Amino acid sequence: MEWDWNFVWQIMPTLIDGLKITILATVFGAALAAVIGLIFAILRMTAPKPIAKATGFVVEFIRGTPLLVQLYFIFYVLPDIGIRLPALLAGVIGLGLHYGTYAAEVYRAGIENVPRGQWEAAKATNLTGQQTWIHVILPQAIPPMIPALANYLIAMFKETPLLSAITVLELMNQAKSVANSSYRYIEPMTLVGVFFLVMSLISVVFLRWLEERYARVEER
Amino acid sequence: MSIRTILSMAAGASALMAVITSTPAFADDARLEELKAQGFARVAIANEPPFTAVAADGKVSGAAPDVAREVFKRLGVADIVASISEYGAMIPGLQAGRHDVITAGLFMKPERCAAVAYSEPVLCDAEAFALKKGNPLKLKSYKDIADNPDARIGAPGGGTEEKLALEAGVPRDRVIVVPDGQSGLKMLQDGRIDAYSLPVLSINDLVAKANDPEIEVVAPVEGAPVYCDGAAFRKGDEALRDAFDVELAKLKESGEFAKIIEPYGFSAKAAMSTSRDKLCAAK
Repeated sequence: MEWDWNFVWQIMPTLIDGLKITILATVFGAALAAVIGLIFAILRMTAPKPIAKATGFVVEFIRGTPLLVQLYFIFYVLPDIGIRLPALLAGVIGLGLHYGTYAAEVYRAGIENVPRGQWEAAKATNLTGQQTWIHVILPQAIPPMIPALANYLIAMFKETPLLSAITVLELMNQAKSVANSSYRYIEPMTLVGVFFLVMSLISVVFLRWLEERYARVEER
Repeated sequence: MSIRTILSMAAGASALMAVITSTPAFADDARLEELKAQGFARVAIANEPPFTAVAADGKVSGAAPDVAREVFKRLGVADIVASISEYGAMIPGLQAGRHDVITAGLFMKPERCAAVAYSEPVLCDAEAFALKKGNPLKLKSYKDIADNPDARIGAPGGGTEEKLALEAGVPRDRVIVVPDGQSGLKMLQDGRIDAYSLPVLSINDLVAKANDPEIEVVAPVEGAPVYCDGAAFRKGDEALRDAFDVELAKLKESGEFAKIIEPYGFSAKAAMSTSRDKLCAAK
């Protein structure tokens, strides 16, 4: 079977439609993961012991089960108790929840890595709680988190084809339906790979820039 | 077909050989010898009773593989080994050499006839919808779904129903690709789709198993003709296909064909009253 450029141009618009959904799912999934991760991290570190313990259990539970199973659960099981989410929303929630638990651990490690002396010094200089977080703790905690969070973002982006299992018409699903109607896999699957690679490389460059920028702020 | 049958009966084996060898792919007779030597043919199936079914213990049944098993036995190939595949992946899988033949209720349509070498017709069926009781959106044809901007249809990926829906003008985002029968039913019950489309016998089988009074069936779908499948061989394996056709014709003649497929609900008469040439030419 030979590579057919005409076919490539013909299927490009369909695949780009899919790519848009993939990017949409990644962006919203990442935003949700960032928020959920922060909530989990704060609960685990500052809430009363029983709540902190329960949060820890939930985090471990979600981390210890496959994303695909969670997606099936959200998509096929939740309607049984009256929660019927549209496919894309179900996918975003699945991604956000799953990667939120990973983000939570990154946040926790970042905050715990700020030396105890910094907290004590902030207290000694009579800073309020808010001032302590904003001016002392977070500026030191966030830069080391960026590489780890960035890795999870790219990992999540590459996991979005799983959403095709719950009927989301993202890049992979569009490519499959193109292959279904043309009996050709070589062009659609190659293009999916290329799209993912290009997007990953762009994200890597952007995140590296972000990392350096924050590191520089730190030095000043 | 009748000419070939008469020939084979009148002139016996020599005339038969003439029919087989008159096809261009003469050298490929070797394929049958290969299959005989290895003792089995690899077939692609779905899991969509009564066309194809896989029991919990892994036993493959269903009308399409049962016919193929019998024909191959008569050709001297002891058994078939089946692998489950999505409809859309069957033809690429065949071309990639992952299986020797598709026996899955993959209905003949001109574009499929151009991609594979079909046997003569085996299983015929019309199309159906499963939908919510009372048919709230009044869906009776693929066109009805295209015309109603709220209606979503579920169908197997790469299956005939998906193609029919798209051809009728239903936009891509309202044709939901459903991985298997159970998910289709669940998505219908949950209101994620408004109609789930499969051939009549498949829908009846599924709905009977589901035993849900909230689901009803529209069969046949208006404006969709009766389609027939055939065993689908790789292009280039025409010699194997022709050998298959000869035994299939004998099976039909002797009445054993009807004995195999009619318990599943298929009509032998429907398959015998049409031909590959007619079905492949049909629009």
